[in-house]
This record gives sequence, structure tokens and C-alpha cells, in this order.
Amino acid sequence: MLENYLPVLMQMLMAAGFAGVTLLASVLAGKSAKRNKMKDSAYECGMLPLGEAQPRFSVKFYIVAMLFVLFDIEVVFMYPWAVIFKDYVAVFGAAIFWWMLSFVGILLVAFLYAWRKKALDWSS
Amino acid sequence: MSPLSLELGLGLLGLVLLLVESFASVPRKLIAYAAIGGLLAALAVIVSGAAGSVPDSLKEFYVVDPLALFYKGFAIIATLATIILSLEYAPIIHQFVATHPERTKEAGLGEFYSLPLFVCVGMMVMASAVDLITIFVALELVTVSFYVLVAFMRRSAASLEAGVKYLILGALSTGLLVYGMSWLYGMTGELSLSGVAYKLAHWEGNSAPILFAVGLMLAGLAFKVGAVPFHIWIPDVYQGAPTPVTAFLSVGSKAAGFVVLTRIVGTFLTPGSVVAGPVIQILLILGGATILLGNLAAIAQTNFKRLLGYSSIAHAGYLLVALACIHTGGLKMTSGEVAAFYLATYLPMTFVCFLILSAMRAKGYGEDIASLKGLGRANPTLGLALAIALASLAGLPLTAGFMGKFFVIFATVLEGYYTYLAIAVIGAATGFFYYFKVILAVYSKPDGPSEGPTPDLGLLSKVSLAVFVAAILVVGVYPDLIRFALVK
Repeated sequence: MLENYLPVLMQMLMAAGFAGVTLLASVLAGKSAKRNKMKDSAYECGMLPLGEAQPRFSVKFYIVAMLFVLFDIEVVFMYPWAVIFKDYVAVFGAAIFWWMLSFVGILLVAFLYAWRKKALDWSS
Repeated sequence: MSPLSLELGLGLLGLVLLLVESFASVPRKLIAYAAIGGLLAALAVIVSGAAGSVPDSLKEFYVVDPLALFYKGFAIIATLATIILSLEYAPIIHQFVATHPERTKEAGLGEFYSLPLFVCVGMMVMASAVDLITIFVALELVTVSFYVLVAFMRRSAASLEAGVKYLILGALSTGLLVYGMSWLYGMTGELSLSGVAYKLAHWEGNSAPILFAVGLMLAGLAFKVGAVPFHIWIPDVYQGAPTPVTAFLSVGSKAAGFVVLTRIVGTFLTPGSVVAGPVIQILLILGGATILLGNLAAIAQTNFKRLLGYSSIAHAGYLLVALACIHTGGLKMTSGEVAAFYLATYLPMTFVCFLILSAMRAKGYGEDIASLKGLGRANPTLGLALAIALASLAGLPLTAGFMGKFFVIFATVLEGYYTYLAIAVIGAATGFFYYFKVILAVYSKPDGPSEGPTPDLGLLSKVSLAVFVAAILVVGVYPDLIRFALVK
């Protein structure tokens, strides 16, 4: 029974081993020089670090990123659809067109909603 | 008429309502009424039996059996009750969403009334889904809509905290579930549950990868239904979320998790399956631990929403045990039907509690058990309704809750799982203690000398409260009412 799990054990050992060896190597090979204040400070292209490490971004960035993902994913579905479109229409008729149109229609609702809620309006 | 058109119709209604919300300045109540009308129409189609069947080409993904129809009706009723509750709770939502609450009147309510429709569509598809991908997409529709609903009160730190916790743990559990599904697909090469069941029954060779997949999927689903040890998020999320959403989570989301569990466990426990033994063990241990922890932790709670959160954990335990008892021929019900019956009794009693909690909150009362004091005198009808619902949650005979627990306990006796019989009885006995503590609060004198405003309900809420209380009492005497809907 238990020997069935040998591959699982091996995979776990591999994963733990790789992580362990990497960490160990960085401890042994790195951090060997003497530390001083200058070396421990954050490196920013040779400039002195400015401001906080985690500044606050306007929520607009997140909204734009979210809308981008939404319409980006739409294209993921449209690509394979466009590739088979000609062959499919020749055999089965125009149904495939209406299917994609219904999908785009749902996204259109999302777009109208976002537009109306001023999510696309950068200045407000 | 294809049953799929119900889901499509409700989804379309949700989209239209979102557009109406953003482009037209109609009173937001009308949006809620439109949603209620659409849901009632869909419910009428299902109850009248006009839902019909699906073409054979869809049967690998989507089935319409009595169980599916039952859960579809369940989803619609839960959504209806949630929207009615939301109408009651609207002032609080507005207060915590609007930038300037005193200047506007109904900020954010349009979305709050239309989002439950999308949850409902997801749950209805899930009730019929018999394909790993369909299950996953429907589950995500439900979960993503819930992320928005839980964090809806953006000016309430508690709601945001609940939203973040729910989002992170929800994403984690989804990850576990999908990873398990990918292993299952990798090992069997099948996505449809019937195909997986056939492969499991004729499995030869190493079963460890299948068990790995089973473990991951059960862990992911245990998160969704709130089974110990994956229950940690429940009390915080239930307490922080807007009350209508809490009610919807504890009934709708739980039912959605259990319909998937019923289908998937049914696949794993197909006769001759290589993983049948371990799956039953896992379900029993999860269920037993859930009953014990849910009930024992509920004793110490002082916040009513938190108490109901732990109570929902405890009820999930009974449901898990019910799913593990597969030889229920003596009950003339399958294990999935016992669980569905239990959920159907759980719906009215939970919604009665949350309806009254919303009414109290809208009048400025707190959500502690102590703030319920004096309700029995201020509004005797509400007090009595709450007392009946709580007695039913505890499992007092002649209430629906008793019949639900009775079938589960009877199933454990038929199987001979006496340890779990003992655990179930201990859990039920503990339940009496903390539910009756709340009833005691309802009928005791208020602490302060001054009496606040009398909590009251709108007409729709009164009607649904009456329907739910009647359902609790009638099913408690005549359980066949629900059984006929299930076993055709």
C-alpha cells in the first residue's frame, strides 16, 4: 500500500531539496563580506532612496487594470473563434456568429456599466 | 421549454437591471420588485413542472433530474428571501455605501438588488452540472458575486475585513478544488462525472493519485461549506457581511456547496469505486468534527450573527454525515436526498432569524443577543416567530429542524455508525442549550429603563415570515411535503 506513494514522496523530497539547497547556497556563498550601514541600505540606481517603500496608489489604476483584464480575456476567446469561423460557417451556418455576439453582448453591458459609472473617466 | 432558458432569462434580467440601475433614475425599490417578479415567474415554471428536459447533446454536462429541479427551486426561494431581506436592510446599506449619506437617498442599492440574481443563476446551473468544468464555472459565478456582496458596505471596516478574508480563503479553496480536478482529469482523462465514475469503478493499478485528487477536491469543497478544519473564515465573514448577504451565504452558498458535494461524492462512491472506503471515512471524520466544534464553539458566542455562523458550521456537519450514509434504503431516500431535505428545513428557520435581525438592525438595535431582550414584549409576533425558528434550529420535535436531524440520525443507525450517532446526539443536545439561551433573551426584560422603537417589518417581509414559519410547523408534522418534491 505505502509503496504506492513513493512517487509522491520523491516529488516532495525534490521540491524541499531544491528549495533547501538554494537557500543553503545563498547563506554559504552570499553574506560573506563584512556588513556596514551603506551596504545594508536599499539600492536604487545609485540614488538615495526617496519616499516610502509602499506609497498609496489611486484606486483608478486598479479599475483600469481590472477593465483591461476583462477586455483582454475577451480576445482570448475570440482568437480560436476567428480561426475556425470560416470552416464552421460553411458547414453549420451562421449560429456561431450569434453565439459570439451574445458573449460580446454581455461584455458590452459590462462596458456600458463601467462607462456610466465613470470608471473610464480619468480626471474625475 | 428548456430549463436552461430559466437560467438564461434570469441572467438577462440581471444584466438589464444593472443597465437600468446605471442609466435610468428609477426608484431602487422598483429594481428589487422587478427581480422578485422575475424570480417568482421562474419559480412558477419549476413548480408547475413546465421546465421540460434538455437535448441529449447536453446530457454530458447538464442534467435535469428531480434533485436538480429541487435545488433550482431552492436557489430561487433563497434569492427571493434575500432580496426581500435587502429591502428591509436598505437604510443600513445606503448609510455605509454613500459618500454623503445625508445628501443622497439610495446609493448602491441598484447593484445590491441585482447581484443576487447572478448568484441565483450560478446556483441553478450548478444544480444541473455534471461536468467538472461546468461545475467549476458555475461555482465561480456564485463565489465571485459573493465577494462583491460581502464587501459591499465599503465604508464599514467590518464589511471590508470580511470581504478580504472571504476573497483570500475563497481563492485558496478554489485553487485546491481546481488542482484536484486537474489531477482527476489527468488520471482518468474524463471531465464528465459519468465518465469519471466509470473509470473509478474499473480502476487498476496505483490509486494514490486518485486519492490525492479526491483529498484536494474534498478540502476545497469543505472550505465552501464551512466544515472543520476549514471553517475558520465563517464567523468573521458572517459577522462582518451585510445581514442579507450573511443569510444568503449561510443558506445559498452552503446549498451550492452541497449540491456539488452530492454529485461529486456520488461519483466517488459509485459501486466498485477504488476510493469509496476512504471517501466515506473522510466525510464521517469531517462531519463528526464539524458537529462537535460548531456546537461547542457556539455556546460562548454573544453576537447573534456569530452564533448563527457557528450554528451553520454545526449544520454542515450533519449534512456531511448524511452524505456518508449511503445505505439509506430504509428511509426510501438516497443520501443526497437526505441532505437536500435537511437543507430545505434549514432554509426557512435561518431566514426567519435573519429577517428579524435585519428588522432590529434597521431600527438601530445592535446585533448582540442581549439587544434582543424585550423583543417578546415589544412585538410579540416577531418574538414568537424567532422563538419557533430557534426551536427548529435546535431540533425540537414538531418543527422542521427535528425532521431533518431525525433523518440524518436514522441514517447513521441504518449504517451502524454508532460513534457518529453519539456525536450527532451530543451536538443536538448542545444546540438546545445555546439556541434556548437566545429564546430566553427574547422573553426577558430589557436591561435599560427606556424602550427603543418597536421593530417592525414591511408587508413583503411579513408575508415571507408567515410563509417560512408555516413551513417550519407544517414540515415538522408532515415531512412528506418536501419529500414528495424530492422523490418523484
